[in-house]
Amino acid sequence: MPDDSSLVSREAIPDLVRRIVADVLMVPLDKVGPQTALVAELGAESIDFIDLVFRLEQGLGLKIPLARWGSFIEQRLEGQDLARAITTDVLREFAEREAGLG
Amino acid sequence: MTERVAVTGAGVVAPTGIGVEAFGQALRRGRSGTRPITAFACDGLDTRIGAQVDDAAFDPAAFVHPPKLLKLMSRPATFAVAAAAMARSNAALGPEDVDPDRLGVCLGAGGMGPLDLDLLAGQAMAVLDAASDAGTPAFDVPSFARAFRARTNPLSMLRGLPNLAAAHVAIQQGARGPNTTVATACTAGTQAIGDALRTIQRGEADVMLAGGADSMINPVGLLGFSMLGTLSCRNDEAETACRPFDRDRDGFVIGEGAAVIVLERESFARARGATVWAELAGCSATCDAYRITDERPDGSGPATSIRRCLRDAGAEPADVGYINAHGTGTQMNDRIETQAIKRVFGDAVSIPVSSTKSMTGHLLAAAGAVELVACLLALQSDFLPPTINYRTPDPECDLDCVPNAARLARFDAALSNSFGFGGQNACLMIRRW
Repeated sequence: MPDDSSLVSREAIPDLVRRIVADVLMVPLDKVGPQTALVAELGAESIDFIDLVFRLEQGLGLKIPLARWGSFIEQRLEGQDLARAITTDVLREFAEREAGLG
Repeated sequence: MTERVAVTGAGVVAPTGIGVEAFGQALRRGRSGTRPITAFACDGLDTRIGAQVDDAAFDPAAFVHPPKLLKLMSRPATFAVAAAAMARSNAALGPEDVDPDRLGVCLGAGGMGPLDLDLLAGQAMAVLDAASDAGTPAFDVPSFARAFRARTNPLSMLRGLPNLAAAHVAIQQGARGPNTTVATACTAGTQAIGDALRTIQRGEADVMLAGGADSMINPVGLLGFSMLGTLSCRNDEAETACRPFDRDRDGFVIGEGAAVIVLERESFARARGATVWAELAGCSATCDAYRITDERPDGSGPATSIRRCLRDAGAEPADVGYINAHGTGTQMNDRIETQAIKRVFGDAVSIPVSSTKSMTGHLLAAAGAVELVACLLALQSDFLPPTINYRTPDPECDLDCVPNAARLARFDAALSNSFGFGGQNACLMIRRW
């Protein structure tokens, strides 16, 4: 569980996540939809996920160990093709869970 | 008999111009690129001038695909990627023209670690946070680590790795052959081009993208060189501050930029019908093995390097028609370089020797590469680039330094000198094809 809860409201999280994805992968905001695949469609590579998690930490005002993202993906998307399965929505779910809203 | 190696393309990002055309024009006109530094506030510093790349004229995004790679590039890496793309396009070397495994990269890089302002600010703020946490100005690593972790993007470190400029060039150019980074301070660009020549001579690549990239126009770089007393303090005469070979020279002006050239094995260049700028005829790299910043007073260190370069090219001193000097504009360099040149070419040396650093500033690890491009442009267009800002002769630097204005002259071979901290000496020679 998170160390303490975020100051960011549930309503603000989807927009925050979208903006972070656009910033990190340097694509226009309108290319980032809920079902956009971060790897297959936007070309994310391993270090981009490090950047994504870091920016979520800053955006939510929380400390998020990188390993927690790894285990979240492992459980949430077990057996799926990660290149297609990791979408903006999956990242939003992770953000909500970290913020204690999941 | 080893095959010759041809220079078939050149790209440059310099304070005086972006692209070989603009850069060549600035050389012919003797235009200065040294100005007050605008990259950050320098109030109160001893030196507040530099030779910056004009950000209004330089758009790295035009050279980087996909754009997200930009966030992993240091400023010098963006210069290198742009210079390499321009060089390749200048060489008209298409994607199908070379086997990716036979295309290599060799670049000179600064290797001073991640010094961009973001990271520096993150570190400084983390130190402050750590101090206030502890309630005392003492530096406490656990507090620093907590603050640093919260403030610093984990990808920052990747921008500071010295080999990443060459890696980014390889990614952008699909160059899967030999890939080397040379970190020999101010000789790095020259030595990288020499190493690329050797790579082709050894048969390890058909084509090499070679050069150097650097930027130390940041608070730490500027202060570092300033505290060593190497920088000109002519803050009120920014455009004429760098005065190589002049009696009143007071140091170099820190510059930034990159140059990359395309080198090809002769038979490869011929087979694809490439246009050749010149032959890269020889190289050398030696060390004074004396002191870290002082040069041997008799100039024998650089002289050895010049002789070895001539021998490598199978040339005699009399073959050289132009020397692009290291010519930093420090009292010591220009005096010792004059002695070194006289040791090789004779006391009554009449070969023109100019310092284009008078215009570009000192591009450090990129200097030798940018200066070789100056030599290529001069050879191709029959002119000698000037040493600008030359006013008062120095009896200890009694060379023909092509004072103040470019001169028309046809010559068949040029030598380019680079010397660096640590006693590094390196030379390159080009010859009419």
